[in-house]
Amino acid sequence: MADEPLIAARGLALGYGDEAVVRDVTFAVRAGEFWCWIGPNGCGKSTLLRGLLGLLSPLAGALDVAPRLADRARIGYVPQRGELSDALPTTVRELVGLGLVGSRVPRAERSEAVRDALAQVGVLELAERSFWSLSGGQRQRALLARALVRRPELLLLDEPTEGLDVATQQALLATFDALHRTARIALVVVTHRHEIARDHADHVALFADGRVVAGAREAVLA
Amino acid sequence: MNDFLASWSLFWPSYLAGWAIAVLLAVIGVWVVARREVFLGAAVSQASALGIALAISLGAWSGAHWFERDSVAAGLAIATAVATALVSARGGGPGRESAEGIVAWIFLLSASLPTLLLARSAHGLEEIHRLTFSTLLGAQPADLWVLGALLVATGLAAWRYREPLLLVALDGETAAAFGVPRRRLVVAAALWLGVCIGFAMRVSGMLYTFGCLVLPALVARRLARESRPLVWLAPALALGAALPGFVIAHVTDVPPAQMTVTLLCAALALAWATGGRRA
Repeated sequence: MADEPLIAARGLALGYGDEAVVRDVTFAVRAGEFWCWIGPNGCGKSTLLRGLLGLLSPLAGALDVAPRLADRARIGYVPQRGELSDALPTTVRELVGLGLVGSRVPRAERSEAVRDALAQVGVLELAERSFWSLSGGQRQRALLARALVRRPELLLLDEPTEGLDVATQQALLATFDALHRTARIALVVVTHRHEIARDHADHVALFADGRVVAGAREAVLA
Repeated sequence: MNDFLASWSLFWPSYLAGWAIAVLLAVIGVWVVARREVFLGAAVSQASALGIALAISLGAWSGAHWFERDSVAAGLAIATAVATALVSARGGGPGRESAEGIVAWIFLLSASLPTLLLARSAHGLEEIHRLTFSTLLGAQPADLWVLGALLVATGLAAWRYREPLLLVALDGETAAAFGVPRRRLVVAAALWLGVCIGFAMRVSGMLYTFGCLVLPALVARRLARESRPLVWLAPALALGAALPGFVIAHVTDVPPAQMTVTLLCAALALAWATGGRRA
């Protein structure tokens, strides 16, 4: 069904051990929607993202994933910068290719899929460069390409503009808009910056102390 | 060179075992270096020495000399190495000691306890010294079959799982998010690390085992632009040092393990000096 949620939570609680970090959260993300989850550091946004990725099990409530996304093959993820280990050498092309691990993209199409993903975010000319020699904005685009190479229906991004200069942020956000409008990829952006929600998202949830304290876009941005 | 070839009929099990260990450990070393667990490699090697010391001391205390058989000593060496690798794979966590702290504790205990256990056994102390200073002279033809099997299994696993393993090493959270069974892979790799190091340690000793585990991967990391080639580049470098290392050692009448490790250290220093990768 076209309007079936890709991912939906009802009264969801998530945490570590028995301790809930996120409580009583309800939302539904549908195809082509652009969601922004905003709130201060430590309010539980990233924990909720980890739950959506299947890295945490619900302590209470329910988290429903559309059957075609159940194996996570068509969910893309861009982690916070700095979560990568620099113990290994890697080129942009190799890093993006590793995004195909566990995906449904056929082997014969993988080189082309990597090229397409790099071109989609405007870093095709950096393919043979060492990932570690790139600027912050270029690295973020390479990580975005690694998520896009899986041909996702849902893309989850954790603080994607953190540590970037204003011009680079704007360019990256324009890329998100293009993905949202032209490729109809549903986006969930976790951030503590209200202006991203105001200028780009069509759905917003404001988090505080592990709960959604405001859900309507107008209420959050008022 | 002719002198080296003339020694072949006498020492071929030692030469082949040494070269096989160099290749085997260099492949596994890529994972160890990728996970920044170089010190774990030393601790696992040292822990297997404790296993061998336990076998000798249990044999002496109980009077049951079957404890001192090669197979029992190898079994205990592998068991202690596997236990160390698995404990470290569990990692630290809130309220728990850090993985680094646990590894340091195991290393220090494994370095001191064997000498205490075997302080009154001349044979036992000699064995511990042999393991600490590395000599390949004890290798048996039967060891070659085991090393061959370990090499084949390691090569197949490295080929089959190279991409998930690389992704786990580079970015474990994303690997798990992409459906890679990260925890199972880490535990399986720790188990295999313990088996291979435990066996190699009994045959070749601490210095050679630790040197072949980490040095080829560290050199390869400086030379390669990507991660995938490390799986063949590291063993090629290990063999490239061990082949001439054994010949030079024979000609100059010095220990082959120390010569090979020195060559690998020189290669790493050269890679550092020339700047290596990341341009």
